[in-house]
Amino acid sequence: MAGLLFTPLAWAALSLLLDFRRGRWLSWLGMLIQVLVSLSLWFAVATGGGFFYALAGWQAPLGIALRVDGLAVSFVLLTAAVATACGVHAGVYLDPSKSWQRYFWPLFWFLWAGLNGVWLGADLFNLYVGLELISLAAVGLVALGGEAAALRAALRYLFAALLGSLAYLLGVALLYGQFGTLSLTGIADVVGAAEPAAALALLLMLAGLALKTALFPLHGWLPPAHGIAKSPVSALLSGLVVKASFYIAARLWLELGDRLGSQLLAQGLGALGAAAVLWGSWRAFRQPYLKQVVAYSSVAQIGYLFLLFPLTYAVAEPVSRLAQQGITLQVISHALAKAAMFLAAGNLILSVRSKRVDALGGVSHFLPFSLFSFGLAGVSLMGMPPTGGFAAKWLLLQASLASGQWWWIAVLLLGGVLAAAYVFRIYRASFLEDSASDDFYHPPKTLEAIPMILALLALGLGLVAEPVLSVLALPFEVAAGVTVVQP
Amino acid sequence: MNSLPSTALIAASVLLPLLYPLLALRGVWRGALRALLPLLPLPALVLALLSASPWTLELPWLVLGSTWMLDELRRSFLLLTALLWSTAGLYAAGYLGAEQLRRFCVFWGFTLAGNLGLVLAGDMASFYMFFTVMTFAGYGLVVHEGSDRACFAGRVYLVMALIGEMALLAGFLLAFRAADSLLLADVAAAITTTGTDGWLIAALFLAGFGVKAGLPLLHFWLPLAHPVAPTPASAVLSGAMIKAGLLGWLLTLPIGESGWAPWGQFLMVLGFVGSLGAVLPGALQRDPKTVLAWSSISQMGLMAVLVGAALAAPGHAPLLVPLIALFALHHGLAKGCLFLAVGLVLPASRVLRLLLWLLLALPVVSLLGLPFTSGALAKGVMKDTLLALPGLPLGSQLPLLLQAATLATLVLVARYAWLLWRQLQPGTVATARWAGWALAVLCSAVLFWYLPGVG
Amino acid sequence: MSLTALLPILALLSSLLAAVVIFALPESSHRLRTLVNLLAAVLKLAIVAAMTWGVFRGVDFSVSFTMLPGVNFMLRADALAMLFAGLSAVLWLLTTIYAVGYLEDSPNRSRFFGFFSLCVASTMGIALAGNLFTFFLFYEMLTLSTYPLVVHRGTEKALQAGRNYIIYTLGGGVVLLLGIVWLHGLAGDLAFRETGHFQGVDPSLHGQLTLIFVLLIAGLGVKAGMFPLHGWLPQAMVAPAPVSALLHAVAVVKAGAFGIVRVIYDIFGIDFAYRQGLLEPLAWLAAFTILYGSVRALSQIDLKRRLAFSTISQVSYIILGVTLFGPLGTVGGLVHLLHQGIMKITLFFCAGNYAETLGVHRVDELDGAGARMPATSIAFTAAALGMIGVPPLAGFVTKWTLGAGALAAQMEWAVLILLLSSLLNAAYFLPIVYRLWFLPVAAPWPEERRWGRLETNAWLFWPPLVTMLMLVLVGLLAPTVVSPLSWAQLIAVRMYLP
Repeated sequence: MAGLLFTPLAWAALSLLLDFRRGRWLSWLGMLIQVLVSLSLWFAVATGGGFFYALAGWQAPLGIALRVDGLAVSFVLLTAAVATACGVHAGVYLDPSKSWQRYFWPLFWFLWAGLNGVWLGADLFNLYVGLELISLAAVGLVALGGEAAALRAALRYLFAALLGSLAYLLGVALLYGQFGTLSLTGIADVVGAAEPAAALALLLMLAGLALKTALFPLHGWLPPAHGIAKSPVSALLSGLVVKASFYIAARLWLELGDRLGSQLLAQGLGALGAAAVLWGSWRAFRQPYLKQVVAYSSVAQIGYLFLLFPLTYAVAEPVSRLAQQGITLQVISHALAKAAMFLAAGNLILSVRSKRVDALGGVSHFLPFSLFSFGLAGVSLMGMPPTGGFAAKWLLLQASLASGQWWWIAVLLLGGVLAAAYVFRIYRASFLEDSASDDFYHPPKTLEAIPMILALLALGLGLVAEPVLSVLALPFEVAAGVTVVQP
Repeated sequence: MNSLPSTALIAASVLLPLLYPLLALRGVWRGALRALLPLLPLPALVLALLSASPWTLELPWLVLGSTWMLDELRRSFLLLTALLWSTAGLYAAGYLGAEQLRRFCVFWGFTLAGNLGLVLAGDMASFYMFFTVMTFAGYGLVVHEGSDRACFAGRVYLVMALIGEMALLAGFLLAFRAADSLLLADVAAAITTTGTDGWLIAALFLAGFGVKAGLPLLHFWLPLAHPVAPTPASAVLSGAMIKAGLLGWLLTLPIGESGWAPWGQFLMVLGFVGSLGAVLPGALQRDPKTVLAWSSISQMGLMAVLVGAALAAPGHAPLLVPLIALFALHHGLAKGCLFLAVGLVLPASRVLRLLLWLLLALPVVSLLGLPFTSGALAKGVMKDTLLALPGLPLGSQLPLLLQAATLATLVLVARYAWLLWRQLQPGTVATARWAGWALAVLCSAVLFWYLPGVG
Repeated sequence: MSLTALLPILALLSSLLAAVVIFALPESSHRLRTLVNLLAAVLKLAIVAAMTWGVFRGVDFSVSFTMLPGVNFMLRADALAMLFAGLSAVLWLLTTIYAVGYLEDSPNRSRFFGFFSLCVASTMGIALAGNLFTFFLFYEMLTLSTYPLVVHRGTEKALQAGRNYIIYTLGGGVVLLLGIVWLHGLAGDLAFRETGHFQGVDPSLHGQLTLIFVLLIAGLGVKAGMFPLHGWLPQAMVAPAPVSALLHAVAVVKAGAFGIVRVIYDIFGIDFAYRQGLLEPLAWLAAFTILYGSVRALSQIDLKRRLAFSTISQVSYIILGVTLFGPLGTVGGLVHLLHQGIMKITLFFCAGNYAETLGVHRVDELDGAGARMPATSIAFTAAALGMIGVPPLAGFVTKWTLGAGALAAQMEWAVLILLLSSLLNAAYFLPIVYRLWFLPVAAPWPEERRWGRLETNAWLFWPPLVTMLMLVLVGLLAPTVVSPLSWAQLIAVRMYLP
């Protein structure tokens, strides 16, 4: 249990001592263990139900309390899957001869630790710590790109992240001052309606998290950072990192939103999300560089997540559940699909030796496998059946319909169409046969296999959405329950 | 009633010509194609001769559920069709060159199958099917020569035929709704009882079959198409296929049902218009085949008059229908002979030449209705019957009109004979051609008298 | 798992697995790929045949599991499903054979056949789908798996066509999804049922249901090529001939039409739709499309383009048929689903043969091709005559049944449309037939290739002949128990006399 949090830190420390190649072997071993542990935890929760866990027996206000529920373990498992995929990919993809690459593994593990911390954290401060850990590691990873542009992007990212953290911390401080506790459930138990200070705190925290999640119009830092980073890093950032801050925002909203939020806030956040969907997709469609396309697609896909706010505010319980399930599926499927897409894009770029979209002509001939992975991931992003993206879209559509907020239906459908536009632009470029050059590089098989696996997972998610959701549903049933297990 | 001849014979009479085109698949079977041309209608001929009493054959698995049958009316038409096609086939075997032989034979086979099949058909779907097959395949015969004139004629033929087909399809569909049965025998009664719908159906049938039968204003294709086809094809077009329209009328129009007198009158008028109106354009032609085509329009007009009379006087229909069949048989064979004669040459010896002209004259006099010919019988009976029937429309003018029609026939036939006289050149042609023509003349002149039950 | 649940899944898997295997095979192993393809096709045919027999005997093949809360993935083989499944299984085998020959010596075959199999798997899924959700799943999968086939050549023109295709079909998909979601919100998960679901529904819902109906039909109408949503179809003819065959005869266009059949009969119920007045406007639209497609076909010089417009016209026969209230109309519409498939696939096979063997793509280059390629030309002629509705070919049976259905439903104008369309069909098909047989060869063939004794590659030679034979037999033997007509009657009986 605790291993999930601390072993990544241990791996980080260990790998700090080693160079890239040895760090790679160590990390691969570490990943294997992490995956196994995550899996067994997931099965434990899936069969036994969720529980609270106090680290070293210290209870919530003082110690580190972990909230181990279906949602959290699912995200832990997701993290294990995506991070492992990216890690393995990175081990092959990155160039060991560059001296700075030795910092990859420590940063990678710090990131992982931070992510698990956020998924499992039960109080606001721990969440903050996890968030900071993630941000710093992510900035470091971006900087590893090595070029001047990468450093610039990393710096920009850093400022955004710090600003976001600051806002969040301010909100935490306000809440602590008012309620004297940092436990989320603790606050939720005592908070009442119409408490302006608490409402301000929530607003601040949401704003900070929105910045970190790159919600339109605060997304300016994301495309350069995700676009310039090495592909496995981009995959990690887009797949997991932005989800961490959103996860916290969602937790806050679901616990406190019904009393501290307002219809205006909910609809406003939803509107921003909608704008992100449209603007991000449109920008993605216009980008000349492949990875920029994928990065802007992330901006768009993140926009969907913010539909959570209007669709859970002041609606019937079943509708809210539909929306939550939809958003959760969207998080998972986007994580898998986007990681797959970035990794596949990396392969394509390696193969044609150019980052431009219009250089892809003929690649369908030479690198069908990677292109196919890219395509499958794209299918999920478009929300076409039977992918996870479709399942998410379906649930969100149902929720919009049931809550009478039909305008989100338009956003969801239009977003799918726009996603199709930018994905098919890539296909189109790669199916063109009259390309002059047929000088292609064939990446190693491992690099080709990993995005395919991720893409297939995203695809399969749609088919097994019901069982997955039944595990995910555990938190919202059990969170308020009292299944507290002492070690 | 139902003493069915062997099913194999019935099947063979349609299937033989229908499958015959398969021989065209291999170039080396050319000889067989040619040799089989006259033999194709033989099963049908045997069938017509053997079927002394009517029969009905149910084929529920075919097309939409078929019924094939042969009664006195159909038997007469079957006889005509088989005889004429057989002689024309023999003639064709001597007429055709090697060029495009296969294509011609394919269309010949299909057209023949259609023509025979529609005579046997007892239900709408089969009738329409065979009728359509004949129409479409007939196009191949019309344009066979490939000249510009032939192509133009083919186009006109096809366009008008298609419009006719559509009228028929609409008519059959409506009749099917009215009768709730596919049987042609049920049509007449059904359309009489359905009011306005019935009129529409009758009009559609009248027009649809009228195209094929060369009814005035629907006849434009006929003087174009009949002459341009190869001579044996012209013969069957004008002799046999044109009669399919007539048979269609007889089978679908409410003959024998009361209440259709105005229709009968209308058709009689139209018939006389055709019969007399064809004279002038026909007499102005320079091609004997075109003259014959106009003559066909004229003669079909007379048959339309008879159909009209049958409609107008339902009580006398049982008398008139066999008469129409008789007239058709007479005209088909005679017209066939005349067409075939166009492709002949003058033999070297004077005796033979004399014989030729003698034989040529036989169908001519028959058509004119001179004594001791089939024409005398057909036209005589026609005149007697029409004039004897009480209460026919046009009653007072009928004798005059009939006289005029006879005159019209005379003018056209004389024009034809004159043109033929001028046109026939000495030369040699294949024996088969002679044989085919001679056989046709023989049939026309002699066989007619010995048919049981017709006279 | 019992056999009744296993068979539908196997029917899907047979081509899905084939796709996976083919993708995994290296580009160069042509023989093995061909073998896998053919084995899968034959296997599928056997499975479908077994299921058809079962359905005839009244066995209920179905399997379902929950995919999303309140939504089931459901496969179910009813008589209607088997009509479409049978069509695609039979024609897939032939198209596969044809495609093997057509793509000989061309690049990217692995990709082509992989997506080809996926496409057929989707079609099978569409046929066997037991509810709208499952239908939609495979419907969209079909869209995606045909795109690579449409753009297969990779030329600018092909890509342009692909772009159009995807814009139209994805747009249609969105509208369809909206309709399905709305319906789901309103009525829950509706399994296809022979009598529909809305008999005696609360009248206050009628307005919403009408809107949903419009959405569903509009979404499906894109693939079915209904005016004014047909724009992608003529362009998509740049795809290789087997793909066109697949698009026009087996899969895409048919999926749209089949969907419309499902919505009208099995969701709304013909009774309800009729009483709500939903059918009549659709019938008018279908009638207009019939004429529009034919008129446009007249002026097309490119052979495949002419065929494409003809498809637009012909598919609307199906829709016209299902909108005629009464068993005869139903039978006519359903049987045309098959008949049109058989005839159109023959035409496209032949068009492909002319293109591959002689390099001929335009109608005016076909002069005298009958002598050079008699078998192909015979097949083409037969199919063209069938399209016109010449008895006893397949098209006649359809036209007759549709006409009788229209009359029975007191919609005399529909008969007029049918006749007019027949004339137009004749006007654009007969000139081609005339050129084939009656005109002499005008110029040397643009790009002639020779294959030994047969007039063309043996893989290309036989499929059109087989389909030609089929289109003759289904018409000639229409009343027999094994014919599509009888099957359509079986469906109609189960629908109208539940």
